Amino acid sequence: MIVTRRSRLDGVVHAGRWIVFVAVAILVNFPVLSTILTSFKTNADINAYPPKWIFEPTLEHYRAVLASPNIDYGHYILNSVIIATTGTLFAILLTLPAAYAMARHKIGTGWLLPVITNLRALPLIIFAIPFYFMYKQVGLLDTRLGLALISCIINIPVALVLFVGFVQDVPRELDDAARIDGASMWKTLWHVVLPLSRPVMLAVFLLSFIYSWNEFLFGLILTTKSAVPVTVGATFFVTSRGIEWGPTSAAITLGILPPLILGLFAYPYIGKSMLAGAVKG
Amino acid sequence: MSDATSFEQQQRASARVLLVPLCLFMAALLGFPTLINLWYSFSDVSFQNLVGSFVGLDNYVAALSNPKMWQALGFSLKFAVLCTVIEVAAALVLVFILHPLLVKRPWMTAILMLPMMVSPALMGVMYRLILNEFTGPIPVYLEMMGYGVNFLGRGNIYKTIVAIEVLQWTPFAFLILLTARQTISYELEEAAAVDGATGFRSSFHILLPLMIPALVIVLFVRFIDSFRVFDHIYVLTGGGPGNLTTSISIYIYKLFFVQHTLGEAVAVSILLLLMSLALIASAMRLVVRRS
Repeated sequence: MIVTRRSRLDGVVHAGRWIVFVAVAILVNFPVLSTILTSFKTNADINAYPPKWIFEPTLEHYRAVLASPNIDYGHYILNSVIIATTGTLFAILLTLPAAYAMARHKIGTGWLLPVITNLRALPLIIFAIPFYFMYKQVGLLDTRLGLALISCIINIPVALVLFVGFVQDVPRELDDAARIDGASMWKTLWHVVLPLSRPVMLAVFLLSFIYSWNEFLFGLILTTKSAVPVTVGATFFVTSRGIEWGPTSAAITLGILPPLILGLFAYPYIGKSMLAGAVKG
Repeated sequence: MSDATSFEQQQRASARVLLVPLCLFMAALLGFPTLINLWYSFSDVSFQNLVGSFVGLDNYVAALSNPKMWQALGFSLKFAVLCTVIEVAAALVLVFILHPLLVKRPWMTAILMLPMMVSPALMGVMYRLILNEFTGPIPVYLEMMGYGVNFLGRGNIYKTIVAIEVLQWTPFAFLILLTARQTISYELEEAAAVDGATGFRSSFHILLPLMIPALVIVLFVRFIDSFRVFDHIYVLTGGGPGNLTTSISIYIYKLFFVQHTLGEAVAVSILLLLMSLALIASAMRLVVRRS
């Protein structure tokens, strides 16, 4: 008697958990879901009342977005890909050697590591004005290199935290052996540490690519035409001539899809990078 | 001196070289701009005269005596406190409800994490579409049920931008707290259950204290992040109507790129930098004292 009552209660609780999950999943993902659906609707279906959830999909808005005479959206997508990739590579090149020195030789762990990990807490707008003038002086305004440097700065803290944690986990005997054999520090890094770093490299790459791709403020301030990233370019569809629902939805869908897909693999590392940074910072 | 220690010293010396590129890069791209900012904040710099001459504290006086700065600062503080409290409370409750479901099904966690992968600026544009008074699906459905709500109108815009921030970033708070919850060992839970601590309330009492470090981190990170909010508000309202939704980041942006009052914009930037550093320093002291 007691057993059946208990299991019935468990069943109700379990069903309740599922209901909460589905409700929350729909609530937080509603804008993404709605925008993606709209991007595949014909104009007639977009204006249908009440809103249609089942319809015959069309690609006309994607064609319109990529062939738009006023807004070169394909170019913006390419900009974002190049900016995010280069910025990520810069960040890896700068932080992996530094992380090795910090984790192995305890150099810079006293102040440099905490200072850099806490940089991500600063409001970026503080640097907007000097960057605008610096870039203007050296000709980096509206260039992909200019924005790649920004994305590198933004991602250095996360990359450094993850790499320091990784080097701490590499058995010390491995690189000690290499160095006693006469290998230089750079060679040890290249031949011993780098081949082992594949998993953490993937984590750094995914997070850094997503953060760079989603950057908006500096894209807005430092670009006008040739280096415009998708986050800024997509807003052009709204502000230029009112809202064109189909093309705007298609443009947004193209702008959110890469980080959404990478995010499916990257999300566990976000938790790790946050908790690790706090423990060591 | 033994060979071993001199080898070690040699190693340390060459390890220093590995830090040089990173230090040079940070000095050039963060140290130098900060110095430019400092100089500009004490000078009468303008778009015509980029070097400027020393004017003492004039810019700071102008910045601090402008009521709009205090309004923007007040907006950011209130927005950050409100969003952080709602997000962390909601995330904490959800962790206790959903943890048993998610522990064996990581793909379900992934679905809940999707919003934080989206650029906040594009999230703003999406809400601009779906909340549109005439064609957006949410107002349309509410209309059908007899509620006419203009989410982007003057009366509701504040609640709307808070709700957007909360819906996008509660998943982040949820993820950190879930990660902390999942590292609490199984044995401990079993022990608690054997002691008769079953049910929702008891597990809350036993598990919550163990999650406090993660809670502190989430509160800090979410507060900082909401305090510097720019993207989705800029896209939705541009800081308006009037200055109703002007955060401190948008305020600096407008001073510089719209009103071209450079000196004042830079002075506010420096004040914001000092405030942020004070906040980070006190948070770090808290963490150090705990450990």
